[in-house]
Amino acid sequence: MSTEARARAPVGARPRERPPNSLLEEFERAYLRNVDVIMGYFARRCRDPHTVADLTSETFVRAMDGFARFDPSRGSDRAWLFGIAAHVFARHCEQSAGDRDAVARLGGHRALGLNEIEELADRIDAEREGAALMQRYAGLPPVERAAIELVDLEGLTPKEAALALGVSGVAFRKRLSRARSRLRKEHRGND
Amino acid sequence: MTRFTENLWSDLARDHGAALACADRHEPGRARRPRRRYLAGSTLALAGAGAALGLVLTAGAAAPAFAVTKTADGSVLVTISKTQALPQANAKLRAMGIHEQIIIDMASGAAAVSGAVTCTPAPGVSGPPVKVLVGTNGTQVIGSGNTGAGTWHLAACHVTGDTGSGNSGNTGAG
Repeated sequence: MSTEARARAPVGARPRERPPNSLLEEFERAYLRNVDVIMGYFARRCRDPHTVADLTSETFVRAMDGFARFDPSRGSDRAWLFGIAAHVFARHCEQSAGDRDAVARLGGHRALGLNEIEELADRIDAEREGAALMQRYAGLPPVERAAIELVDLEGLTPKEAALALGVSGVAFRKRLSRARSRLRKEHRGND
Repeated sequence: MTRFTENLWSDLARDHGAALACADRHEPGRARRPRRRYLAGSTLALAGAGAALGLVLTAGAAAPAFAVTKTADGSVLVTISKTQALPQANAKLRAMGIHEQIIIDMASGAAAVSGAVTCTPAPGVSGPPVKVLVGTNGTQVIGSGNTGAGTWHLAACHVTGDTGSGNSGNTGAG
């Protein structure tokens, strides 16, 4: 980790980042910006700290392998990473834990230290509300649920979320609008 | 950064960082085919996707950035610090009476495995085995502003028979 990444900017000062020297440095910055939200994405879905750790690791291994092909002009690194995370989670649901190539390439399931497990458990706890919200959305079709989550929970723009889900902007807006309309109806029904 | 995210970054950087540190961002929408550098006489042709972009090099304009060495096992080791030196290296092979010409395929990114690459001989070529080492341990970095700027490695190497006259006095011979 570079010392620059750890340096704190003076209070009130607008940090001025110098351009990265290499793709590795650029990736490190993307990692620092996004690792917490990606971990939160998995923490809302899984209650086991080891699973959250594995899926987060797998996402970033895949991202690192493909970072040279990432085109920043098409969208933010966060949207791109959410796209990878969604694939990783879908694959996790489909397959048994025995076939997790990317994690294996990190030397297998890395044994987590006690403090790491505690941190991850805290993160899962912190996402309890988000997880409950996702439970409430459980009745929505998966694509609509993903649309709501990425825009309303993660704060991506509809364009970025469409990129993350691999759908066109028009299709995404339709899904988002349909999802919100369903939720409004449900809300009115509960009242 | 939590302990977990810090440890994860250490693992990522250790296991996968080297390749990314030397890599260049791929240009969007551009096919990433290996670039073939082919020698015929004193010309260096870049052939990709069947189309050819021909460059004529003036061999001898710069100091030779190559070495041709016969090794103890009978093979020939050709070391070129930059691919532009390939015509000179081939001319040197010819001058040494080795009637083999080298064709290399360069691909973007750093070499996954450092060291020389053994060339595949074309059918009918019966000379000594030829190994080629490009750049530093197999990786050549072309500075920005130059043609082909970026990091390259030798993806494949082939040897064809020398169909030339055998006369090292060709234009541009090294």
